[in-house]
Amino acid sequence: MKICIACGMPMQEAAEFACGDTGKDYCVHCARPDGSMQSFEEKKAGMIQFIIKTQGFDKKAAAQMAESSMKKLPAWKEYFV
Amino acid sequence: MQSKRQLQKESTRKKIIEAAYKVYAGQGFTAPTAAIAKEAGVSHGTIFVHFSSLEELQCYLIQDFGNTLGLEIHCLAETGSNTEELLKAHLNALAKHENFYIRLIAEKSLLPEDTQMAFANIQSIMAYHFSKVIEREGQNQAIKNIPLHLMFNTWMGLLHYYLLNKDFFSPDQPLLLRYGPELIGTFAELIKK
Repeated sequence: MKICIACGMPMQEAAEFACGDTGKDYCVHCARPDGSMQSFEEKKAGMIQFIIKTQGFDKKAAAQMAESSMKKLPAWKEYFV
Repeated sequence: MQSKRQLQKESTRKKIIEAAYKVYAGQGFTAPTAAIAKEAGVSHGTIFVHFSSLEELQCYLIQDFGNTLGLEIHCLAETGSNTEELLKAHLNALAKHENFYIRLIAEKSLLPEDTQMAFANIQSIMAYHFSKVIEREGQNQAIKNIPLHLMFNTWMGLLHYYLLNKDFFSPDQPLLLRYGPELIGTFAELIKK
């Protein structure tokens, strides 16, 4: 099973892949409307917003969580050297 | 093709990981590494051939636990169409590692920061699936209009309260097996319109 390189989500169904294209390495949530992959800043902001919306955490803690999970993902390696 | 030596190395690493799960589930995260070595049947030094520090071993374990749990919830959640099905998937995944999970939530603040973050990531995975189901059911006007984060936190609060007090609720048998259906049914009833 493929794992999204930008957020770590497992991808099984075509609908979970960006543009429904199973050849892509990133998921539908990490794609921009035109199908390209979101930038580091876009993804980080999206993750922070999502953590606050779904778990109600403080913004600073949410940012720390987002960075910590991005650190482990192949798409963002160069940002954490 | 892996050499015999590589295979042996992997098998030892696996033994250490399995032993660490068992020891931490039974004794908590302050258990000495010597106890893990004894359980795995390896010398104390062997642990540090595979993991450079105790922190690295603990962080690896939580991440591994999170990956397994995340994958199980993901696969089950995709087939589940309502809140109750998702919560059942959540509890089924946790039930397999109940004692380890209890130690994790009870002793979280004692763990290194990286490990705590890995744990937070596990909860985010569940929050993601929870939000998907709730939003879908919200569109069908099936559930009350409560902010998403409070709904999720209410579920987690209820679940963790029972797990943290397992000694009172269910001292002699797995807690989720005994109370899971009641917790799910009650939560579903609370949020239903």
